[in-house]
Amino acid sequence: MSILKVEKVTKRFGGLVAVDDVTMEIRQGEILGLIGPNGAGKTTLTNVISGLHTVSEGRIVFDGTDITFLPTHKRCHLGIARTFQIARPLKNLTVAENVMVGGLFGNGEKLKDSRKSAIKLCETIGLAKPNEALDKITVLDIKKIEIARAMATKPKLLFLDEVMSGLNMDETREMIDTVRKIRDTGVTICIIEHVMSVIREITERVIVLDRGAIIAEGPYSEVSQQHNVITAYLGEDA
Amino acid sequence: MESISFLKKHRNVFLLIAVIVVVAIWKPHAAIYGLQRGSLYSLVGLPLSLTLGVVGIMNLAHGDFLSLGIYFVYLFSTNLGMDPLLSIIPVFVLLFLLGVVIYKLTVTRVLKSGHLNQLLLTFGISMILLEAMNLIWTSRPRSVYVEYSSSSTTIAGVRFGTYELLYVLSAFAVLIALQLFLKKTRLGQATFAVGQNPRGAKIVGINTGFVYLFVFGISVAILGIAAGVMVPRFAIFPSVGAAFTMKSFCLVAMAGLGNLTGILVSGIVLGVGEAIVQSIPGYAGWSDIVFFGVLIAVIMIRSLRRQSL
Amino acid sequence: MKITKSLIILLVLIAAALLPILTEAYFISVAITILTFMTLAISWDMMLRTGQLSFGTAGFFGLGGYTGIIAVADFGVDPVMGIVLGGLLAGGVSLLLGMAILRLRGLYFAITTMALASVFMVIIRNLRKLTGGPSGKIVYTTLFNYDSTKVYWLMLGIAVGTIVISELFQRSRIHFAIDAIRADETVAKSHGVNIYKYLIFVFVVTSIIQGVIGSTYALQYGFVYPESSFSAHYLLLPIAMALVGGIYSTIGPVLGAVILGLSSEYLKLIMPYGHLIIYGVIIVVVVLFMPNGVYGALKDLFGIRKRRLEER
Repeated sequence: MSILKVEKVTKRFGGLVAVDDVTMEIRQGEILGLIGPNGAGKTTLTNVISGLHTVSEGRIVFDGTDITFLPTHKRCHLGIARTFQIARPLKNLTVAENVMVGGLFGNGEKLKDSRKSAIKLCETIGLAKPNEALDKITVLDIKKIEIARAMATKPKLLFLDEVMSGLNMDETREMIDTVRKIRDTGVTICIIEHVMSVIREITERVIVLDRGAIIAEGPYSEVSQQHNVITAYLGEDA
Repeated sequence: MESISFLKKHRNVFLLIAVIVVVAIWKPHAAIYGLQRGSLYSLVGLPLSLTLGVVGIMNLAHGDFLSLGIYFVYLFSTNLGMDPLLSIIPVFVLLFLLGVVIYKLTVTRVLKSGHLNQLLLTFGISMILLEAMNLIWTSRPRSVYVEYSSSSTTIAGVRFGTYELLYVLSAFAVLIALQLFLKKTRLGQATFAVGQNPRGAKIVGINTGFVYLFVFGISVAILGIAAGVMVPRFAIFPSVGAAFTMKSFCLVAMAGLGNLTGILVSGIVLGVGEAIVQSIPGYAGWSDIVFFGVLIAVIMIRSLRRQSL
Repeated sequence: MKITKSLIILLVLIAAALLPILTEAYFISVAITILTFMTLAISWDMMLRTGQLSFGTAGFFGLGGYTGIIAVADFGVDPVMGIVLGGLLAGGVSLLLGMAILRLRGLYFAITTMALASVFMVIIRNLRKLTGGPSGKIVYTTLFNYDSTKVYWLMLGIAVGTIVISELFQRSRIHFAIDAIRADETVAKSHGVNIYKYLIFVFVVTSIIQGVIGSTYALQYGFVYPESSFSAHYLLLPIAMALVGGIYSTIGPVLGAVILGLSSEYLKLIMPYGHLIIYGVIIVVVVLFMPNGVYGALKDLFGIRKRRLEER
C-alpha cells in the first residue's frame, strides 16, 4: 500500500536539472532509504515533496490526494513532515516551545494540550531540559528538537534528512533506536543518509539518486553491489 | 536567424522604442516630457540599483542625499557664483566623502545584522538628514536661476523645453560609464563579482569591505550629478528628493536586481506613464501615484511567478 | 509574584484614570499625546514581531483621521462612530493592500507601506469635494466638544485596549505562529503555519488600531489637513519609542512612549525647532548600540535570566 506516489517529477532551477524524471513510491509503514552522492538531489526531492519547491513537471500523490500544487503548510496538515539537513531551531523560542509549534499548527492542537504533549515528546525523545533557551545546546539535542518538532505535527510520512551526521557511535545507536520507535508508532519514514552502516541496518529498501535521476532501487545489500551505484559514489575507476 | 535572435535579445529596448514612437504620435508632449522626466528617474535609480545589488542594502536615505546634494549645488551657485552644472564636480566629491564616512561609521555595523536593522538604520539617517536640512534651510523653497534653463525649440510643430534633454544625456552617460566601469576596470570587475557572489569573491581574495565602501560612496556621489542638473529647473526644499527614494525602488523592482539597462528602460516607461496621465484633462494630479500602481502591479506579477528580487 | 504584578498594574490604571481630576489641562494634553503615540508604537511593534517592517503608521493614521472627519462633516455621524469608521476603513484598505503585497513581503512590503502616506495624500488632494483638497477640512462637532477629560479617558481606554490586544497576541497561539514566522519562515510553513494568513491578520489589526487613533486625534481638534494629518511624525516617533523601550514586547513601546514623550516636552522648551532630529539620532543610536532597548537593558541588568535567545 503506497502512501506516496511520485510520478515523473522533474525540478529545474533555470538551466540546472536538480530532479530528473523521478518516479517512485513510498509504501506505508516502511523505512525507505534515499541515498546518493552529494548533490544528487535527495534534499531537493524532499523539498519538492514537502512543498518548499513546486514541480517543474510531474505529479505527486499523497495518501490518495493530488498534492502537486498544494502549499507547504497544507501538506503538513495532510501528514507530511520533515527535518532539515542543517538543523533550523527557532532561536527565539525554548526547546519545548519549538516542539509546540509543530503541535499547534501541524496538528491543530489547543495551547494547553500542546504544552503538555510537547513536554511529553521531549521526555520520550530524551530532551532533558524542555524550558531551556537554545544558547547552550549540543548537536544531538538540536537534532532531537528537529525530530520532536516534526513528530509533534503527527505525520503519516516523515523525512529525516541526514540526522546521523556529526554523531558519535553511542549517539548514533540512540538515534537508530529513536527512528525505530517512531516507525513503531505507525509513521512511514524516508531517511536520507550518508552513513551507510545506518542505512544497512534500519532500511528495508533504498532508492539511489545520482544527478537527479534514480539509478537503482531495492534492498541495500543488493543495491550496494551494483556497479553503477559504486561508480556514482567513487567515480569511474572504482 | 541571426536577426531574430538579435531582436529577441534586445526585445525590451525595441518594445520601449516602439512604445515611445506610438506615444510620440498620439501625445507628443507626453512622449518628450516622459522621456526627459523618466531619464531623471533613471539617473537617480541607477545608483540605488548599484547599492542594492552589490552591497545588498536598501538605502532609505537615498532621496535625502539627493536633496542634500541639491542644497550643496545651491550653496556653490549662490555663494561662489558657480554654474550649477559646473558645481557637479565639487558636489560629487563632497557627497562621495560623506557617503564613505556615513558608511564607515554606521552601515558597516549592521551589514551582518539582517534587513530589519539595515532598514531602520537608513530610515534613521534619512530622518536625521531631512530634519537637519529643515533646521538649516527651513522649508522655504529656494531656486537658482540660470538663463539657459528655459530654452526651448519647436520640432514638427511641437514646442518643448530643451534643457531637460540634459537629464536624458546624463542618464545615458552614467549608465554607459557604469557599464564600462563594471566590465573594463579591475575595481569594477571586483564590484561585479561581489554583486554576484560576495562569499565567492572574498574567497578569491577580493577585498569586499573596500568594494562595499566604494560602491556606497559612489552611489551617493552620482546623486550629485542628478542634483546638479536638477537645480536650474526644480524648486529647492528639504523634501524635494524624498519622492525619488520610492520611485527609484519602483524602478529596481521593475528592472530586477543587477539590471542597469533595465533601470534606464523602466525609468523612461514610468516617466512616459506619468506624462500620459498628466495630459489627461482633470486627472493631472493623479500622475504622482502612477509609480505606486506600477509597484503594486510588479509585486503582484512577481508573486504569481513566485519571483523575488 | 503574580499578585504583586497584578496589584501594580491595577494601581497604575487607577492613577492613570484619576489623572485628569488631579492635574490641570496642560498635563492632560501631554498625557493624551503620550497615549496617542504609545498606541501607535505598540501597533508598530506588533507588526514588527512578525518579522515585517511596516512604515505605514502615518498613512493609516491620516486615513483614519480623514475618514472620521468626513463621516462627521458630510454624513452627520456622531464623532465616536466616526472613530469606529476610521478604524474600519483603515482595516479595509490594509486588507486589500496586504493581500496584494504580503506574498512578497520583506523590502517590497516595507517600501510600499512607506509610500502609503504620500499616495493617500495625493488621492486626498485630488478628491477635493470629499476631502477639502489641499486646504484640509474642518468640522464643528468635535469629540466631546473639546472636553479634554473625556477625550483623555477615551484615549486611555483605547491605549489599554491596544495593550490588551498586544498581550493577547503574546500569550496565545498567535505568539507561536508569529515568533516562528519571524525566526524562520521555511520551518514555520513546514510545520503547518499559514504564514500569509497570519501576516495579513496582524497587518489588518494593527492598521485598524492606527486608523482608530488617527480618527480620535483628528476629531479631538476637528480638522484634517494633508501635510499635518499624514506627517512623518506619526511614523518617526512611534518607531523611536518602540526601539528605545525595547521591541518585541508590549511593555517596551509603553516605556519608550513615556520616556520619550516626557523628555520631548523638555526638549521642546530647549530646542523649539528641529528637536525632531533627536528622534532620528535616537533610532540610529539604538539600532547600532542598544538593539534591545531600555527593557532589554533592564532585563540584563537585573540578571533576569533571558529565557529566549533572540535572533534578529
